[in-house]
Amino acid sequence: MLPDVNSIGPFGFLFILRIALVVLLYLVILQVVAVARRDLRRAAAAPAGAPRSGTVVGHLVVIDSGSTPLVPGSRLALDPLTTIGREPTSTIVLDSNFVSGQNTRIYFKDKSLWVEDLGGKNGTVVNGQRIQAPIAITPNSEVQVGDVRFKVTP
Amino acid sequence: MATATQRIEPRPVRRVLIERRRYRWTELRLLFLPAFFMLLGLLELQVVQSTEAGATTTTLPPLDAYVPAFGLIAALVLTHLALNIIAPDADQVLLPIAGTLATIGVLMSLRLGPAVDNTALGVKQLVWVVLGLGLCIATVRFTRNLDWLRNYKYTWAIAGVALVAITLVNGIVFKHSFTTSGPSRDVLYISFLGFAFQPSELLKILLVVFFAGYLSENRAVLALDGYRFGPLNLPPFKHLGPLLTVLGVALLVIVGVRELGLAILIFGLALSMLYAASDRPMYVVTSLILFAVGALALYTLFPYARDRVSIVGNAFDPGTASDKGYQIVQGLIAFASGGVFGSGLGLGHPTFVPAATTDYIASAFGEEFGFAGILALIGLFLLLIYRGMHVAANARDDFNKLMAIGLTAVFALQTLVILAGNLKIMPLTGVPLPFVAYGGSSVIANFIIIGLLLRVSQADG
Repeated sequence: MLPDVNSIGPFGFLFILRIALVVLLYLVILQVVAVARRDLRRAAAAPAGAPRSGTVVGHLVVIDSGSTPLVPGSRLALDPLTTIGREPTSTIVLDSNFVSGQNTRIYFKDKSLWVEDLGGKNGTVVNGQRIQAPIAITPNSEVQVGDVRFKVTP
Repeated sequence: MATATQRIEPRPVRRVLIERRRYRWTELRLLFLPAFFMLLGLLELQVVQSTEAGATTTTLPPLDAYVPAFGLIAALVLTHLALNIIAPDADQVLLPIAGTLATIGVLMSLRLGPAVDNTALGVKQLVWVVLGLGLCIATVRFTRNLDWLRNYKYTWAIAGVALVAITLVNGIVFKHSFTTSGPSRDVLYISFLGFAFQPSELLKILLVVFFAGYLSENRAVLALDGYRFGPLNLPPFKHLGPLLTVLGVALLVIVGVRELGLAILIFGLALSMLYAASDRPMYVVTSLILFAVGALALYTLFPYARDRVSIVGNAFDPGTASDKGYQIVQGLIAFASGGVFGSGLGLGHPTFVPAATTDYIASAFGEEFGFAGILALIGLFLLLIYRGMHVAANARDDFNKLMAIGLTAVFALQTLVILAGNLKIMPLTGVPLPFVAYGGSSVIANFIIIGLLLRVSQADG
């Protein structure tokens, strides 16, 4: 039911209306900012909280082992943060002259797996293209590190 | 991205609930207040009308007057429902912000329509918004995979430039004077449909797609050093060839139809995307030098451009204020007369300003909603731009990222150019304020942009 225009006086009622309109616009802004803040908080909390290390977020299947002693067809587990390189401290050690010490990083963010090149000489190739920036991968993507090729599986 | 990794990964129950909840509740919640705003605004218009007509009794506004409000709300809710089906993971804030701005646009058109002797203006704007929302949905639906957009990038660029070139040819054929004072509108009439639109609105989007496609493929090369020229580090022009050619042709055609505001927009767009792609300040420096040269050339070439620039300095001079500076002076007076909280919707005199429904919609809004209202409006635009950049930051590859940056830059630059023009900070150009200004082409193009941003934010292709 609308208020009686006469009883408050037309301009009294209009005054309330026009202030309400401006206030409403600010409420819209406030609501959007609240949502944005929640998003940012969740994003900030995600890397620490989301997948605990030790959980397996996917696997790499060796397609071509190159000059490493890996057996084609073997499955390697992916941690939420997996490093690939020749250095023995890497999560997955690839003993090959075509692989740099710290070659590639695969991590879990925003519900998908990402591949990042760490600046090795031969780089990282995803689905036939050498990557410049982190790129999201899906199951069946092909990742090549040095002369070793993997297929991503769940 | 519905990777299988999601399934095998153990998570706390609460998180799973959040992730698996596919319904877009946030979006629906954010649409509530704009709907309320629309209803309240219309109520105010009705009350003002009935008080002016002398009916001070409890004559309530007839219910059919609320058709525009309910029509708009229904269109927004239907869009929301459609997004639930075709893009459940897309960003949930873009539609509410665009919807709020479009609501303001429809409300202002409803209010200004009778004052400019066009009672159907608000309804027309509503029809444009509904069409725009429909095309937004169509964009999200039919660009499932943005890769085909990239694959045909040259086609898009040529098509866009050709569309604007048609208006240029039209102008020459019909002896549309090219040397005289005023700027022309690049309106393309498709007579057999009784329909006119501005191809330049489409050109913006097509050029963003082209730039994004070209730059994402040539990023690595562009980040390299080009030629050294004294202290300057010039970009590798060889690899910029196709980009500069398209940009140059587009700018020439735009200057041909004398849409200088659009030229600034396209130039700024190319510059933002180039910088985002290469991360090299040298592009900004080089471009700004080129911009200065181009601006000087246009300044000497077009008398009306000289007028526009000089008005910024001497709008209030006697003689100018009632002639060439009339619009800008009236606009500033309108802003000023609004005060802090405004005169109230329907209670000001915004039509003292020429072109209050299009170029000067901001001053009409500023007069009736006041300083507080204008701040809120700018806040809404800032949030829209923030959200566009948020989408860009989370995009899955370079092409998507650059496209989101370019599309957001379109909103940002347009808002900046027209608001600064209205406030006499820079020369006035006829760029529409996104979503708010009256105009079919612009509203529809803006909703297509929202559709593309939604598609980018829906991670899986």
